[in-house]
Amino acid sequence: MIKKIPVYAERIPGGSIVTTSLEAVLHHGQASSLWYLLFGTACCAIELMCTGASRYDFDRLGMIFRASPRQSDLIIVAGTITKKMAPRLRRLHDQMAEPRYVIAMGGCTIKGGPFYYDSYAVEKGVDHIVPVDVYIPGCPPRPESLLEGCLTLQKKIKQQKLSDWQK
Amino acid sequence: MTHDEVKTCIQNTFSGKLTLLDTGRAEPVFEVKAADLRDVARALRDDPTLRFDYLCNLGGTDTGERLEAHYHLASVANGNRVDLKIFLSYENPSVPSVRDIWPAANWYEREMWELFGINVEGHDNLTRFLLPEDWDQGHPMRKNWDAPDFVRLPEFEA
Repeated sequence: MIKKIPVYAERIPGGSIVTTSLEAVLHHGQASSLWYLLFGTACCAIELMCTGASRYDFDRLGMIFRASPRQSDLIIVAGTITKKMAPRLRRLHDQMAEPRYVIAMGGCTIKGGPFYYDSYAVEKGVDHIVPVDVYIPGCPPRPESLLEGCLTLQKKIKQQKLSDWQK
Repeated sequence: MTHDEVKTCIQNTFSGKLTLLDTGRAEPVFEVKAADLRDVARALRDDPTLRFDYLCNLGGTDTGERLEAHYHLASVANGNRVDLKIFLSYENPSVPSVRDIWPAANWYEREMWELFGINVEGHDNLTRFLLPEDWDQGHPMRKNWDAPDFVRLPEFEA
């Protein structure tokens, strides 16, 4: 960890003093403890469950799922979003703790997927409803893709500045 | 009873009210006028030899020329099936409710009303339940339906 974040370390007898910026500590902590809201609506949710299970093991990224929006800071939208469901998704997103992030997982979530044509009920893109940070393509994406997406999100979080929060 | 016996029996019982359609299917399909639907439905359910006590399905079709309402009936007691069709024009399509005859018709009629715009007279709770409550974009299962973000699949030349 010392190699990953900008620190100044000084050895003193009986230990050492580590100096770093509050920004780096905050964002490291934030990126390493993403708690995601359960929001699986279709086949992508099966891949999401698989990623959470022992073979792919989300826990090693510090990610655990929460069934409550108040305690989550990430929502992985996994599956088809219908127009009737859209206001509910928006409400859950609004109830989540700030700063919050959204991962759009799979073709349906990103652009309507196979329901792009001839469908009056399916929302063609979840970014019409909530702002999306990371898109993961695939139908459905494999757990490796989801892990890659989560690592990308962690990278984004670590690169952000405290001054960004005020925007 | 065989399909032919059901066909004959229904034709004898409702002379003039039902017209047999030539669909090529073994199960008989009858056309019925909207005004006669309730009488026919009640008789089909209560006639001891027919006893169509189960409404399997109720739906609509937009053929591009007209609207149709379908009633798929089955007799649990006798193991028979029969279909009823009502042909409707695009101007003010309306069918009477059969909710009190087969309670299963309740939700089907609401679906037909909201997706095809076929009015159901006498239904006591004709409210949306498939589409969002604030839906104001018409009836999406109509052939000519369109909306800003609705993309129709392009037709390919064979």
